[in-house]
Amino acid sequence: MADRVPPRRNFSVTRLPGFGTIAVIVFLGLYTPIVTLVAYSFNGSESISQWGGFSLNWYGVAWGNQQVKDATLTSLVVATAAAAIATLVATMAALGTTRRRAVRGQTVIYALINQPLMVPEIVTAVALLIFFAMIRKATGYSGLGYLILAHSAFCIPFAYLPIRARLEGMDMTLETAAADLYASRWQTFRRVTLPLLMPAVFAGAMLAFVISLDDVVITEFIKSPGQDTLPTYMMGQLRRAMKPDVNAISAALLALTLVLLSAFFLLSRKRD
Amino acid sequence: MNKTLIATALLLASTSLASAGGELFLYNWGNYTSPEMITKFEAATGIKVTITDFDSNDTALAKIEAGASGFDLVVPSAGFVSIYAEKGLIQKLDLARLPNHKNIAPEWMDVTWDAGREWSVPWQWGSTGMSVNTKVYTGDINTSAIFMEPPPELAGKINVVPEMGDVLALATMYEGGEVCSEDAEVMKKVRDALLAAKAKWIAMDYSTVEKMSNNDYAATVDWNGASMRSRLANPDVAYGYPREGFDLWMDNVVLLSDAKNVDSAYLFMDFIMAPENAAMLSAFARYANGISGSDAFMPADMKDAPEIVTPAEFAANGHFVLTCTGKALEYQTAIWTELQK
Repeated sequence: MADRVPPRRNFSVTRLPGFGTIAVIVFLGLYTPIVTLVAYSFNGSESISQWGGFSLNWYGVAWGNQQVKDATLTSLVVATAAAAIATLVATMAALGTTRRRAVRGQTVIYALINQPLMVPEIVTAVALLIFFAMIRKATGYSGLGYLILAHSAFCIPFAYLPIRARLEGMDMTLETAAADLYASRWQTFRRVTLPLLMPAVFAGAMLAFVISLDDVVITEFIKSPGQDTLPTYMMGQLRRAMKPDVNAISAALLALTLVLLSAFFLLSRKRD
Repeated sequence: MNKTLIATALLLASTSLASAGGELFLYNWGNYTSPEMITKFEAATGIKVTITDFDSNDTALAKIEAGASGFDLVVPSAGFVSIYAEKGLIQKLDLARLPNHKNIAPEWMDVTWDAGREWSVPWQWGSTGMSVNTKVYTGDINTSAIFMEPPPELAGKINVVPEMGDVLALATMYEGGEVCSEDAEVMKKVRDALLAAKAKWIAMDYSTVEKMSNNDYAATVDWNGASMRSRLANPDVAYGYPREGFDLWMDNVVLLSDAKNVDSAYLFMDFIMAPENAAMLSAFARYANGISGSDAFMPADMKDAPEIVTPAEFAANGHFVLTCTGKALEYQTAIWTELQK
């Protein structure tokens, strides 16, 4: 078996000189701040950078703060809803732009779908502020719908790009075979295309979720009363002293993300 | 997907319930409202208070101006009160509904932005001056020279808060100009001096309490309440009131024209002007409140704090920093842009 593989195929980035050093530097750069943040969430003192002994005090403080709880809930609800909507729309858009003959002006369609990546956030924020204010005046509705719609809109390209990439990488052979075997278009999609596409759909949904969770500018402008998300809550604290309860919230969110990621990893491995 | 849609629809429906009586929507700076005082207010009146944060006067104004914001009360800084009033965004207060209005300290009654306090009631006020680590620098700290012409001991260890209005007001007064000066000669001097001084600064950053407590900075342009918190963590920190002129600021509660919960709003404004409640605000936010008689209820570490109680000898040097307009604002923005390069 081994001698059938041509030797140049053995080329691997991991064997390039300096690979280990660069990898270590990159990982340090990526994770040291996060480790520091988590470490200081167990700080006994009031400072976010001066160690005052181990304590779980700030978790209690964060848990006891109704505003933090509300903000966490708002963040999670908006991110979940926005990620679901954005992924659904993005999947349809990706199918529409790859699984049919290219139409004239395809590039324009790409540009339109990816518009949130090009337009500065503040422009979108102000435009939405004015637009939603008109709807608010007309309808009197001030629920979470505005935030969910706005978040869905700017999350779409983040879900769209991985799904489209996957679809472009998959040739039509399997789908054509399914059609040959008298599968209807829906059956083909349900039994062949979608299962193959699932990893990209998950990746897209997670990206969208994280992007929504992260947003400050647009949220700040269009949130209705009582709709602070975690990032806008933290931004609001900026001018006054930040306390380690912010670290505690971040660490808890990080733990939640790790649990979700591990669950996803374990589940997908089992299926294989 | 159907389930998601139904869940979303339910969520939308549940959050849009019309605001029945007994609610109040307050739009305030983040981390600025005492939760204990809110609990006390809710227990006393049965009104449910929803607090939403903003991080700058400009964002708050933009949102209110767009209309249908859904808020009842907003807490803008002094310079913004008249902007809200001119744009018709806030309503004149019915003083008969505010029995505690008489508690407003005399010096805060006839303020430049609201003579007679017919549009706004005090929330918190403070000053912008210098925090200096007196172990590093033993000289005079009551001067803007700390950041404008730094002494050698402090060079390379000075922070300046990234707040255009406050910093340019200090710098203009230091160069002998009026706040919001439209004098090109003066503003040129301000620009040159700031650009020269910048070489000796280490940062332009908000986190002054952290860094002063840790001795990361030896001096900073600072707010008095922040300076006090630094001193409590690090006794070497002292607060200086620049004799060339220092900034005063005040945040005020205003009632929006399209407020839906006007009765709750009046109850709340009256509530925060009761001395014991005003003191609760101060105990949390760590600034003074402008209500007579609240001293008796203030926390022990604030009663005689030199940062909170302005020493009489410096009081006359304090100037209110209102929002500059026209030519003055143009100069300020141009200098600020250059300074941040």
